Amino acid sequence: MRKYIFSRLIQLVPILLGITFLTFGMMQFTADDAVDKIYEGSVSEEIKLAKRAELGLDKNFIIQYGNWLAGVLTGDMGRSFISGKLVFETFAEKLPATIELMLVSILLTIFIATPAGILAAVNQNKFPDYLIRALSFVGNSMPNFFVGLLLIYFLALKLNLLPIIGASVIMPALTLTISMGAKYTRQIRAVVLEELQKPYVMGARSRGVSEFTILTKSVLPSILVPVITLLALSIGSLLGGTAIVETIFMWDGVGKMAVDAILMRDYPLIQAYVVWMAIIYVVINLAADLLYHYIDPRVRYE
Amino acid sequence: MRKKLLAALLSAGVLFSGCGNGGGNSAADDKNSFTYGTVAYGVAMENAGTDPHESYSGWSTIRYGIGETLFKFNEHMELEPWLAENFEQVDDYTVRVKINDAAVFSNGKKVDGEAVKKCLEHLIATHDRAPHDLKISGITADGQFVTITSAEKVPALLNYLSDPYGCIVDVDAGVVDKIVVGTGPYRAVKVTDTQIDLVKNENYWGAVKPKLEKITVKSITDGDTLTMAMQNGELDAVQGLPYSSLKLFTNDNFKISQVDTSRIYQAAFNFDTPELQDLNVRKAISMAIDKDGFVKVLLNGNGTVAVGPFPANLSFGDNEVHAVPYDLDGAKNLLAESGWADTDGDGYVDKDGKNLELRYLTYTSRQELPLLAEAAQANLKKIGVKLNVNATDNYKTFLRDGEYDIFSKAIVTAPTGDPEYYFTSHIVPGAVDNAGHYNSAEISRLEDELHNTFGAANRSTLAIQMSQQVLDDCALFYASHLKMSFVMKPNVEGFRAHPSDYYEILPELEKK
Repeated sequence: MRKYIFSRLIQLVPILLGITFLTFGMMQFTADDAVDKIYEGSVSEEIKLAKRAELGLDKNFIIQYGNWLAGVLTGDMGRSFISGKLVFETFAEKLPATIELMLVSILLTIFIATPAGILAAVNQNKFPDYLIRALSFVGNSMPNFFVGLLLIYFLALKLNLLPIIGASVIMPALTLTISMGAKYTRQIRAVVLEELQKPYVMGARSRGVSEFTILTKSVLPSILVPVITLLALSIGSLLGGTAIVETIFMWDGVGKMAVDAILMRDYPLIQAYVVWMAIIYVVINLAADLLYHYIDPRVRYE
Repeated sequence: MRKKLLAALLSAGVLFSGCGNGGGNSAADDKNSFTYGTVAYGVAMENAGTDPHESYSGWSTIRYGIGETLFKFNEHMELEPWLAENFEQVDDYTVRVKINDAAVFSNGKKVDGEAVKKCLEHLIATHDRAPHDLKISGITADGQFVTITSAEKVPALLNYLSDPYGCIVDVDAGVVDKIVVGTGPYRAVKVTDTQIDLVKNENYWGAVKPKLEKITVKSITDGDTLTMAMQNGELDAVQGLPYSSLKLFTNDNFKISQVDTSRIYQAAFNFDTPELQDLNVRKAISMAIDKDGFVKVLLNGNGTVAVGPFPANLSFGDNEVHAVPYDLDGAKNLLAESGWADTDGDGYVDKDGKNLELRYLTYTSRQELPLLAEAAQANLKKIGVKLNVNATDNYKTFLRDGEYDIFSKAIVTAPTGDPEYYFTSHIVPGAVDNAGHYNSAEISRLEDELHNTFGAANRSTLAIQMSQQVLDDCALFYASHLKMSFVMKPNVEGFRAHPSDYYEILPELEKK
């Protein structure tokens, strides 16, 4: 097992090298750099040249990448070209907000989607099923920015229930929950329906086991595997930040930071973000694989 | 099962009500506190901080009432004393400034010549733009006097010192958690990338004392969120609302303060394009642009028709220059004079079998520019000129490769109330941003003269001549000046948009 984890983590090394090099390379294709963005053409070329030299942007692309890599290997992620702050510090400042939003929206999603999915499956082709399917269809089709604005409009402006600028996690989390919850509900409904068709359920029913016991003791554990797969993907993307939701709700997380960094050509910050994303995906997928192993004996057997 | 569902629903309900707080606009209702939403603060604006010696952070120091400069601009962008009481131009290279005897920093320390000297020395040692603008070779202090010597003639020295980077701070107090010690009516207590918390400066030296206890400046970059937070009453005032939202606030529940800024939407003709080397063609295009329609319809009236590069409130502004009129028939005649006629009946004029077809380059990060591009395209079709619009934020690639015939951009033409910067950056031959490669010997001659002329009135006269030369040559056309708008609750007083875009929170600000 340890060997397995180690080998998976070792795979991170070529992945990280590859993607950081690619991102660095792609950034060279733009005609402008951080210095152009900082001054927006309002200063003399002399000042720009001095700034480029200061940031090391006057050097060849390979040397720039080498310098960055050498820094990273010694634990120095560099400084943001724009704010001048340490990249690590900037990241550490924004991460708690992103993690909080991720946790709340994942919990809300599970709390809403699990009962809704089961309810729909149990009442297949009856009113609750139609209602839940219709709602999840709507939730699935609305883009996040639209849901966010609708929530602000109704919950804050019309009903005066929540503040817009009060930095409350509820509205951004709810925005994310609506689209995620819609997806989860449909998945859970499908899995539960499939399980309910299985011979063991028929057997249990014929032995007089109550529907409630069948659902909680047999069916519920079986939906864990697909839910974990979904969760791994959702957590990964949520930890990468949700730029649009963060912008609408002024949630100071890594998503908006990444978009700003790209717009401002802030290479050190972009690179750090790319590294972060790669690590999250590898680690979370690994965690999910280990969880399957633990939860589903069939995986161990195979 | 049902019980579980109920429990889940109930807990969700509790979660909501716990975080509700009934709208949360209680802070904004308090007469002693002021909440201000703005799109203009943040990392992407390079002003997320209050240290004036770092990047553009000085804008935040000045805008939010934390610091002050030696001189400030009035409504006509002319200099007035602020921390300084007066000045004396000793010779072309030396200026002697007297600091107001009453001035103190928010920590109670007196602002004397020595403090100003230290601050300016720190500025030129650390800031990127300041040393190039100021060209200071020496500073001496003597009591309340500070004498500044420059290495070459810098007629606009005091204007540059009134740029937000010239904000005077107590250098000895340093920068702690992005907070500096300034002389303004408010002092910062917390500065983050998205918010600045301010409290009253009890030691404020000015005649008018600050009236509010607490001010919160919030960066809100999404236009719809900003609009709804203002509608909701959570904000006392906002800056930077989308044009489409402004009409929601033209009623008795809100007040609007508007002012013309020196931000211009302009388009430069590329003199490397053979067709555009003909004055008649450039003139015809300039005459066909319906600036009035653009401002009224596309900008919803949130702009002012421009004549030249500077707005009318400046002494060298639009009241002093004249451009070609909007005249479609006149434009067609000019094209015909140069041999352009629609011989094949396709709606576009042609010559030697080739249509008059031009590439119009612009970018989208300023919402007005793509609108101007569309307006220009529709306008020019009326005189038979085909415009192919390329609105891309990767415009620098096209500029570098020369793939454009007209380049349209937005630019602040007089950030320090002085005209020279615009000409040296955009108009003189070889200037970095002279995208049209306009080359006028007369402009070079006038710029030489401007560079060696002291005194606002004399400089103004030269600037008018230069603007007129550009307009006579039809080297560029100027579509409109940006109108800046502040929206506020009706009980907010002393909050006015200023043409410089520097001053927002002043001691006069209060809530009735």
